[in-house]
Amino acid sequence: MASEDEVSLLVIVVDVNPIWWGQQAQREPEFNLSKCLDAVMVMANSHLVMTRTNKLAIIASHCQESHFLYPNKHWKAGDVAGDEVSSGSGDGKYELLSVANDLVAEEIRNLMARTQVKGHQTDTLLAGSLAKALCYIHRVSKELEAGQDMKSRILVSSWFPFSSAVYFCIIFVQMSMGIFGLIIYYILQVVKAAEDCALQYMNFMNVIFAAQKQNILIDACVLDSDSGLLQQACDITGGLYLKIPQKTALAQYLLWVFLPDADQRSQLVLPPSVHVDYRAACFCHRNLIEIGYVCSVCLSIFCNFSPICTTCETAFKIPLPQMMKPKKKKLKTAN
Amino acid sequence: MDEEPERAKRWEGGYERTWEVLKEDESGSLKATVEDILFQAKRKRVFESHGQVRLGMMRHLYVVIDSSRTMEDQDLKPNRLTSTLKLMEFFVEEYFDQNPISQIGIITTKNKRAEKLTDLAGNPKKHVAALKKAVGSTCLGEPSLYNALNIAMQTLKHMPGHTSREILIIFSSLTTCDPANIYELIKTLKELKIRVSVIGLSAEVRVCTILTRETGGSYNVILDESHFKELLMLHVKPPPASSSSECSLIRMGFPQHIIASVSDQDAKPSFSMSHLESVDEGPGLTLGGYYCPQCRAKYTELPVECKVCGLTLVSAPHLARSFHHLFPLDAFQESPLEEHTGDRFCQACQGELKDKSVFTCPACSSVFCTECDLFIHDTLHCCPACIHTQGAS
Repeated sequence: MASEDEVSLLVIVVDVNPIWWGQQAQREPEFNLSKCLDAVMVMANSHLVMTRTNKLAIIASHCQESHFLYPNKHWKAGDVAGDEVSSGSGDGKYELLSVANDLVAEEIRNLMARTQVKGHQTDTLLAGSLAKALCYIHRVSKELEAGQDMKSRILVSSWFPFSSAVYFCIIFVQMSMGIFGLIIYYILQVVKAAEDCALQYMNFMNVIFAAQKQNILIDACVLDSDSGLLQQACDITGGLYLKIPQKTALAQYLLWVFLPDADQRSQLVLPPSVHVDYRAACFCHRNLIEIGYVCSVCLSIFCNFSPICTTCETAFKIPLPQMMKPKKKKLKTAN
Repeated sequence: MDEEPERAKRWEGGYERTWEVLKEDESGSLKATVEDILFQAKRKRVFESHGQVRLGMMRHLYVVIDSSRTMEDQDLKPNRLTSTLKLMEFFVEEYFDQNPISQIGIITTKNKRAEKLTDLAGNPKKHVAALKKAVGSTCLGEPSLYNALNIAMQTLKHMPGHTSREILIIFSSLTTCDPANIYELIKTLKELKIRVSVIGLSAEVRVCTILTRETGGSYNVILDESHFKELLMLHVKPPPASSSSECSLIRMGFPQHIIASVSDQDAKPSFSMSHLESVDEGPGLTLGGYYCPQCRAKYTELPVECKVCGLTLVSAPHLARSFHHLFPLDAFQESPLEEHTGDRFCQACQGELKDKSVFTCPACSSVFCTECDLFIHDTLHCCPACIHTQGAS
């Protein structure tokens, strides 16, 4: 069991893209953003209550910014007592939970009120939220006391439609501090579903590799349609990928599948791992290919041989068959 | 001989007054100086970006480890050989992390001979296992630079032209015993475009200076163990490709990972091709794996070169790992904390800015603390704030 020195940090990345949520409200009015956030808060509270040393962070991922819902940079842990924060919730709830819930609610209200969607950028900036989550985890791990371990995970739940989609990313970063060595497991649960442009892809892959290097798990909870990128992320970092069949039961899935941390998962029967397609897409037609040609300079992939690389414009040497020297044939004598 | 300008040797310089570095403040504590020194140590690595220089991504590197008598010296704890092998394990892991489609081979030299410890391969496990086993070997005799370079050259000269051919020598002895003229060999190496670098453990040796200068490598002598580690890590990054390396399209396969469970009707257990050669692995029968798209031979891990048809098999994330070399992140601008007028919060980790300098990204003008700056440049390779501005544009 987790001892006093085990700290588990869960970072939840919530996707709050208003465009997608607006579309969703028209399709299925019974599952909207507030219900989703309720499920997230249930999960967050459960996590905080599991062990005294568990920590939490929640990031809202919007199409223009990523905002830390909890902990707020203007809020310090010592300010709980007194102040204008409605301390002492009337129903006897654990102080930490009530403060956290109120804070998150207020922050999300401010966030949705102040941002206006401009331009044609409609995709949620998942890579950016993940990058910030990683930096936060890195900072918290440096602030540990000596002898404490930290395990972290990021849970991302998002919609990952192939056009513009709302990404509901819940990044649960559970940091568990164990006394056996300073091992930090970061679990990044990222759920992403949408087509990304090349730059986003590269940033996303950079973030994934950084998470793998820091031993942070990324779990993904997809709400709408499958995402190849998130499947790769979960496969590379060792997290769980799940596509939820019924959105209204989100809280149930979160609690059953994503709440246990990495050590306990081996004891549980969890959804089987998904077959990840690691084939590359060629740069010219965006088809998935099994055999391709790779430019040695810029590493772009092509399905057919061409004399010039279209990305870096290098001229290639065409391999010609080697010239064979004519061998002198010995004349056969008659007898 | 050559007309290399003689730079001043270390014994020719003046005295270093190391006690003057530490300064006490009014109350007599050294805290400020110690913090300063720590801060400087963190920032010691200079982030030089190569700009638009072509880098050699597919590298074939031979590491030559000197196993002669001088490696039993105890100036590196517990002795030079153990310390070197341990750092080599770390180097191999980092190397394959940064260059996933490259290969490494290890050669040892002792007793006037040289022999291959491991062949050129793209899988780190084999090398790490061989390095662990080599810790128990004895060090005796003199090393032979000529023989070691010869063995490496025999394999490297057959490598295709678009890859970079490199040799890294960890040389601790001050002598070498060669069967033939080493300057001829240096000429041959230069013609074959093999770049040789040396890390010296004892002192500077003239023949190594000429060797590295002629072939275009670097020569450094270590000061202590942490300096040794730093010098090794310098070789992890891909070097700028020489102008004469050819660029070509390399044919590669991207196999699918077939996961089959026991309950599958069609799943048949089969041997992986890599198990045919190894003797100390288990039974080797597995249900799933990677099947070469050209000849359907099975492998358990990627990247690998198919033994049957010769096709290089990789997966897309392996190529993606090298992307950050192509688009390196610019170094951030350092400025003192007092000049910073905005919010005292780091925009990446939401922590308070407490260090004496803050770092600003030149592209998006967001402010980061020292820890985040190091983390971003070493591990993340992308600015978190720039991602948001890119997306929104």
